[in-house]
Amino acid sequence: MQIDRRDFLHIAAALGLFGVGARASKRADDIKADDILDFNPVGKVTLLHICDMHAHLKPLYWREPSTLISAKNLVGTPGFLCGKAFLDFYGIKPGSLEAYFDTYLNFEELAKKFGKMGGVAHMKTIIDEIRRDRGRDNVLLLDSGDTWQGTAVALKTKGEAIVDAQNFLGVDVMVGHWEFTYGKERVMELIDKLNADFVSQNVVDNDPFSDNFEETVFDPYTIKEVGGAKIGIIGQSFPFTSTANPKRFTEGWSFGLRLDSLQGYVDELRKEKKVDCVVLLSHDGFSVDQEVARKVHGIDFILSGHTHDPGPRPITINGTTIIIAGSHGKFIGRLDIDIQKGRVKDFAYKLIPVASSLIPADKKGLELVDKWYRPYEKELSQKLGTTKGTLYKRDTFYSTFDALIGEAIRDTMDCEIAFTPGYRWGTTLLPGDDIVMDNIYEMTAITYPEVYTFELQGAKIASLLEDIADNVFNANPLYQQGGDMSRLTGVSYDIKINAPTGKRISNLKINGKEIEPNRNYVVSAWGGNLQNAGKNLRESKIKPVYEVVSSYVKRKGTIDISNRSNVNVLDVACGCPKKGGVC
Amino acid sequence: MKRRSFLKGLGAIPVVMSVGSLSLMAKDSKKPKSKNAISFKKALEVVTNGKGAKESDKVKLIVPEIAENGAVVPVKVNVDEPIENVKSIHILTTKNSNARSADVFLSPRNGKAYFATRIKLGGTQEVVAVAVLKSGRAIMAKKPVKVTIGGCG
Repeated sequence: MQIDRRDFLHIAAALGLFGVGARASKRADDIKADDILDFNPVGKVTLLHICDMHAHLKPLYWREPSTLISAKNLVGTPGFLCGKAFLDFYGIKPGSLEAYFDTYLNFEELAKKFGKMGGVAHMKTIIDEIRRDRGRDNVLLLDSGDTWQGTAVALKTKGEAIVDAQNFLGVDVMVGHWEFTYGKERVMELIDKLNADFVSQNVVDNDPFSDNFEETVFDPYTIKEVGGAKIGIIGQSFPFTSTANPKRFTEGWSFGLRLDSLQGYVDELRKEKKVDCVVLLSHDGFSVDQEVARKVHGIDFILSGHTHDPGPRPITINGTTIIIAGSHGKFIGRLDIDIQKGRVKDFAYKLIPVASSLIPADKKGLELVDKWYRPYEKELSQKLGTTKGTLYKRDTFYSTFDALIGEAIRDTMDCEIAFTPGYRWGTTLLPGDDIVMDNIYEMTAITYPEVYTFELQGAKIASLLEDIADNVFNANPLYQQGGDMSRLTGVSYDIKINAPTGKRISNLKINGKEIEPNRNYVVSAWGGNLQNAGKNLRESKIKPVYEVVSSYVKRKGTIDISNRSNVNVLDVACGCPKKGGVC
Repeated sequence: MKRRSFLKGLGAIPVVMSVGSLSLMAKDSKKPKSKNAISFKKALEVVTNGKGAKESDKVKLIVPEIAENGAVVPVKVNVDEPIENVKSIHILTTKNSNARSADVFLSPRNGKAYFATRIKLGGTQEVVAVAVLKSGRAIMAKKPVKVTIGGCG
């Protein structure tokens, strides 16, 4: 508990919150250099980076994964680190504020000590302090996307509440992914309201009847003059939006990595526009962006997103430095750049944890949050039940909140199997916590919430699982899509991560019995496009997932979910292996 | 949603798949062969006049890493040779039942040895661009394209 006070005083001092009062001078000797905001500035330019906020205007708990499995060649590399492997790789002390923000270890205990994370009011305090310190014209705030979606207020205002928050924080440039699930027209309306540039070199008009056929839908890049330097910022939206999310939202738009055109824009910025520094603002995912750095030449910095990795230290590949700032508003990345004679000479980076119990909230920020929550307060604060254990999202195969959703679907839909998507956004509830309606939305607030019930042949279920496994465990990051395995209720299986494509899964059982390839199973699924692979869709049963889950929790009252995974990994011995598969 | 193409993409993958000792799908060999079937090996032989093609940086092949829709996969080929030197460009696939997707014969009036189209892919496989030169020599480039149901986010 001492840490709270020391850190608070430390921050308070850094922010100049203390006047010349006796209290300040009395505690001044308590202030240490390892402060949350402490930073040795470099050069004149500061880029602040946020990613994957998933519309969390309010602080929350967010537990990082306890299982993060990948193909052999990627094990123990940044993007595939968790738990103790993460702490050891980055040299972080167990039990510290950083350990709490970056890993699942002792999460419940540390949550009590350090409190909630993120929240726009707290982010604002940090951002304003850095702007004050560095000078307004020397700081840019860049947002790697997945900002407009993820909570009830986002869904109910069709993204407007979040755009308002971005304008309040002062976002300068952004790219997108879940943003697109509001549909093309709404995306354009929201961009109109947004005071930032929405850039993407990899979203191209694909409608042969359009006047802009084969042209980029958004500006591919923007050039900003900051701290006396010209910074070229190229946008890279999520390359696989049209396969990961329903195509209907982006009909006529084509995505993809498009590394050839990316190289073209990098060269254009350097040679024709004579910028001093090239930045890629990206929603590719951390491991994909490491491949981009290997394949595209001349990018100084990649500000990555999508895979929700906290990256305490930048990594540099082929002269390109990559940073990534976690998720859910937990972090703000601060990148100081020293630019001299048209080149990047030096830089310094810090992943700042938005420790909302230690960092004072901005008053206007609290008012903004209140303004957007007030109309829905009654519905969202409604208590549905309580949870005995921790409810969390993340992990490669199984997480308790998903298991709850699966149970609720099976109970309501009377199906044999429930599929829940392997998204990486949501929330965390601690043991004994109330489950309120807002929490259900935090796990399910999407624009296509329908739970579909249909029939799927045994053989097809098996091949679908292999297909999904090949996306998640592909040895080449360019062929992954940056999520976790779909969660299955009513199904158990063994998996060999490093087996060839199509041969990873064995011992596949449906409700304890070996799968019958020719039998049709009744399956319920949401959040994907599985229903298109099935037949005999039960149209009358279609229901939004948040309704299914909230009424189930209400019926049950107390929720007690097992920590035991339904998936047995054959060739990896633990959830968080180090390089070489060491556990 | 392109249901047809979606199912097509899906259907192609399980062909080589088995779960444990259980063979879940009918093997390819059990199906009657289409009259139009032509293997990649055969197709390459035909377009290169039996000589085969050597991989070369001069053939620039642009395809998506992951197909957005297996039924219409955009393919661009640019051959870094003067147009006078390039006789034809061929787009082949390694696993479609008919591996010959496009044959384009060029003349100097084309201006540039460049061709773009959309092809159908029955499943995850490689796309191969072959350029046959005036000398009779053939050069090529290949890239894998994944056809998948997708589904995470």
